[in-house]
Amino acid sequence: MSGTVGMPASTSTVWHPRDASEACRLKKRFGSGAVYTAGGTLLRTQWEAGQRPEPAHLIDLSGIPEMRGIRTEGGELAIGALTTLAVCRRDPYLQARFPLLAEAARAIAAPSIRNLATIGGNILSAVGDSLPVFLVYKARLIWREGEAERAEDAEDWLERGGEETEASVRLLLQIRLPLDDSPEKAGRTFGFYGKIGRREAFVPSLVTTALTGRIAPDGQLRGVRLAAGDGKTVPRRFPLTESRLEGAAADDGAVRLLHRLLLEQYKPAPDPFATAEYRKLTAANLAASHLWQAIRENAGRGEG
Amino acid sequence: MLLNRRNSGDRWRIRPDGPGKVTGGLAYLTDLTAPGMLHGLVLRSPHPHARILSVRTEAARSLPGVAAVLTRRDVPGLNRFGIARQDQPVFCEDRVRYVGDAVAAVAAKTPEIARRALGLIEVAYEPLPIADDPELALRPEAPQLHPDGNVLHSKTFRTGDVGPIFERCARVVEETYVTPRQMHAYMETEGGLFVPGENGGVAVYAPTQHGLMDRLQLARILALPKERIRVVSSPIGGSFGGKDELNVQPYGALLALATGWPVKIHNSRRESVRAGLKRHPMIIRMKTGTDENGRLLAHRVRIIADTGPYATLGAEVLNFATEHAVGAYRFGCVDAESISVFTNNGMSGEFRGFGGNQAIFALEGQMDRLADLLGMDPWEFRRMNLKSPDEPGPFGQPIAKTDGLAVVWTAVKESRLWRERTEGASAAGSSGLRNDKDRLPASEGSGQPQKAEERSPWMKIGIGAAMVMHGAGLGYGIPDPSGGRLALRGDGKIEVAFGFEEFGQGLLATLELMLIERFGFAPGDIRIVIGDSDAVPDSGSSTASRATSMMWRSLGLLQRPFEEKLLRAAAEVCGVPARQLRLGAGGVWGRESGERALSYEALAGRLAEPIVCEASTSYPVSDTDIVGAHYLYAYAAVAVKVEVDGRTGRVRVLDQFHAVAAGPVMNPQGYLGQIEGGSSMALGYALMEEAAMERGKYATNNFDTYLIPTIADLGGSVEVWPIEDLPEGDEHGPRGVGEIGSVGLAPAIAEAVRRAAGVRIDRLPIDPARLQEALPIGGMAVMSDDR
Repeated sequence: MSGTVGMPASTSTVWHPRDASEACRLKKRFGSGAVYTAGGTLLRTQWEAGQRPEPAHLIDLSGIPEMRGIRTEGGELAIGALTTLAVCRRDPYLQARFPLLAEAARAIAAPSIRNLATIGGNILSAVGDSLPVFLVYKARLIWREGEAERAEDAEDWLERGGEETEASVRLLLQIRLPLDDSPEKAGRTFGFYGKIGRREAFVPSLVTTALTGRIAPDGQLRGVRLAAGDGKTVPRRFPLTESRLEGAAADDGAVRLLHRLLLEQYKPAPDPFATAEYRKLTAANLAASHLWQAIRENAGRGEG
Repeated sequence: MLLNRRNSGDRWRIRPDGPGKVTGGLAYLTDLTAPGMLHGLVLRSPHPHARILSVRTEAARSLPGVAAVLTRRDVPGLNRFGIARQDQPVFCEDRVRYVGDAVAAVAAKTPEIARRALGLIEVAYEPLPIADDPELALRPEAPQLHPDGNVLHSKTFRTGDVGPIFERCARVVEETYVTPRQMHAYMETEGGLFVPGENGGVAVYAPTQHGLMDRLQLARILALPKERIRVVSSPIGGSFGGKDELNVQPYGALLALATGWPVKIHNSRRESVRAGLKRHPMIIRMKTGTDENGRLLAHRVRIIADTGPYATLGAEVLNFATEHAVGAYRFGCVDAESISVFTNNGMSGEFRGFGGNQAIFALEGQMDRLADLLGMDPWEFRRMNLKSPDEPGPFGQPIAKTDGLAVVWTAVKESRLWRERTEGASAAGSSGLRNDKDRLPASEGSGQPQKAEERSPWMKIGIGAAMVMHGAGLGYGIPDPSGGRLALRGDGKIEVAFGFEEFGQGLLATLELMLIERFGFAPGDIRIVIGDSDAVPDSGSSTASRATSMMWRSLGLLQRPFEEKLLRAAAEVCGVPARQLRLGAGGVWGRESGERALSYEALAGRLAEPIVCEASTSYPVSDTDIVGAHYLYAYAAVAVKVEVDGRTGRVRVLDQFHAVAAGPVMNPQGYLGQIEGGSSMALGYALMEEAAMERGKYATNNFDTYLIPTIADLGGSVEVWPIEDLPEGDEHGPRGVGEIGSVGLAPAIAEAVRRAAGVRIDRLPIDPARLQEALPIGGMAVMSDDR
């Protein structure tokens, strides 16, 4: 910072709590004058752009052990909120079990930023490019407020707008993803994540979509889950589309149906760089094209 | 032979400024500090157009830590600047005309105090209606920016009446092309250190492309003799034309002189965007007709350029655009009228390509459209209409004769990419495969390899090409002097001095290689002096692709006298005839003995005075009376392969081939860098770059919304094929290549996209929405059993 004209030197007091309870106590004490920070990458861009002031107090979460690490717990994978995007991208277990999350991490920001930025921070922005993935993976958010811990479906949180108030004390500790190993689900599973921006990398999203599902041995679609959002639109699922696809024959008709329904139901906002129509059509095209690919590959395998 | 590291052998060298740049060890001018240094900031207008009712600075002045607050009353000399025409206020008087206009400047002990002081300056504005559309700004009822109206400059070139000829044409294409406001996006924003001198003068350490021009302009503003201003101007962290004009120098120099302390100013990116120059947005209407056989008969051009509020080089850019809108083709009859219009948008000005980028995008678009209409191969259509070497230039002016057009045309014709287009080679599939990897479903891959077009039927490939004829030098009617100096200094160093600047283009490396190859010096013998107005001769600006040509010409003039003086002196020392000696690495060598007779250091030690030779020259100019008409041209042809994703409309550049005829390659690495770098800029221009403005304010204030290509966008191969031959007797040597790489790729991409997606591009950057298809899955072939 020294010597850089045009950027204020930091005037915040930085606190380093050693556990989540202490962090919550600090937040409670300073209220909206304090901001939790982990990687700090998003905050810095917001300060720099004048979108929010630098707070009087920064509560640095990086020393809190219970927010770190990736481990399995009771049929779930628990991802510490402090896990960096770089780790999400590289972790072999994540790659194997939740490949869309690794894909999403790859599509966010640039390498130097991914080394600092955390998955928790991406979620709490409410428009992070990882969120569609958590929606299709049925993620639960584990919050800590004081001594109390509470679980909440990521979807419920996003439906309420996904934004924590300035004074909100609770901390996102973990993200939990169900490890669904039930053997009766025969057939072919598919999954897809796509992010489109105005260039190939290091770019705000115009459209981010995630799609998962299964083609059962009887050729019917099962458990299709679909989510879309972008850098300004809080992502959501499309339950109507999903239910219409449930049990539908895995064929061109299903692809057309998905395309049509998504066009009808997705309501992104425009900005100076892309219209709502463009975003809608892109989301529908991406999702439909990947369902088409999944169906086609499944058909090819059946014949082979 | 392709230009690359392997083919360049020993000529592929580590550039002298390379290690410092890649290690970060090199200090740029904006890295400099001085003891007691103050921090300067400029207060700029929040309004694109407003009357200034009052400016009150008392509160700011009385803030502790503030050393000076300056306004228009504090400019001792001319309160104006501008390279060609001085109409831009240093500090505005009664009116602001764009959001970068300066009203006051502050120097304070810390940046924070300076910022607070800016906030304490009270300026009362009365907002005025704005002119933010260059076409509307031409109407009589439009807000007028200047007493003489809203027209900066107009240019007309007409060889006859095209009207009746169009009636005779078998084919006519009429199109309107719209090009964006592109940002130079240099890594180092404008800034510098300004140090007051004991003699009442000032030393200015601030990047510019022409230190002596900055000195002249500052002398006017500061009312100081030029000799009391020293401008140190290199190294520079990128410029691309954007730092040729003054930027923060007036404020830094005025603040340093007012306070008596060194002052540092360094623009934030946001301030750089707001105040800095951009490429002129242009609206270019062309109507072009041919006979039944495809011979061009008539060409009408109308250009409207949005030049922003002040002149800088807007007139010169417009002249250049007009010339290049005629370009390389034999039109029969031409009628071109261009106008550069003042608006309350951001400042437009000099930018690599200098108006040629816009004009050639339009011109090449016409060629592709006409060929299509005629049912001809677009490249054959061009050949039929290209000028021959004996024909005059675009304005009918005499030009240096070369085969440039024909040789670059042939190179593309025979290129792998163009053959793929004309012969329908099947390589499209393999490229598709490579680029489709990223888009595979993240679940399981297919068990068996599939062809890309089967797996991703929405991916479409197209190949296009474009021709470029690019003028270098400032053109007729603008003084274009140059020169250089060679010396053997007392420490034994061969000192070469030019008034050019190093802004990343590789000037130092090129100059070093020229000295090694022309004189036989070793790198360690040489000391290069540039970028210091107290130490360099007048070489003119490092602009207009002229520096390499002028260094080559100057060294040619210096070679014989310098060699003679050195050898004569060495002969005296050694007691052998001068003709038995030659210059070489480390000193003077015996021609026959093959041994070094004397080191340069030893020779220098025996001299009473250093040996100094100076040369003055001038950029070659056409025998014409048309202002701006060029004499020397470089030629290029570009072929490009793109992939369009029908789902998203996004375009990826897969493969590029650039043939460049610009005379001998002086520095392979620099030449390749210029073409690769220039083409990357053109890729951004074609696909994503636009400094969007809404009601006179930038909508893109930073690199998070103003997007330039990253390495992920530049993934395809770039082949550069230099054609070095010049006609026998050509005395002009290497033509510069600093700009030509930035021109041809955009129109070539437009044609490739047309081939891929069937959509004609008339506006840059290309809007993906225009290329997108609803459910772009061709021949859907997965049916359930009951169908």
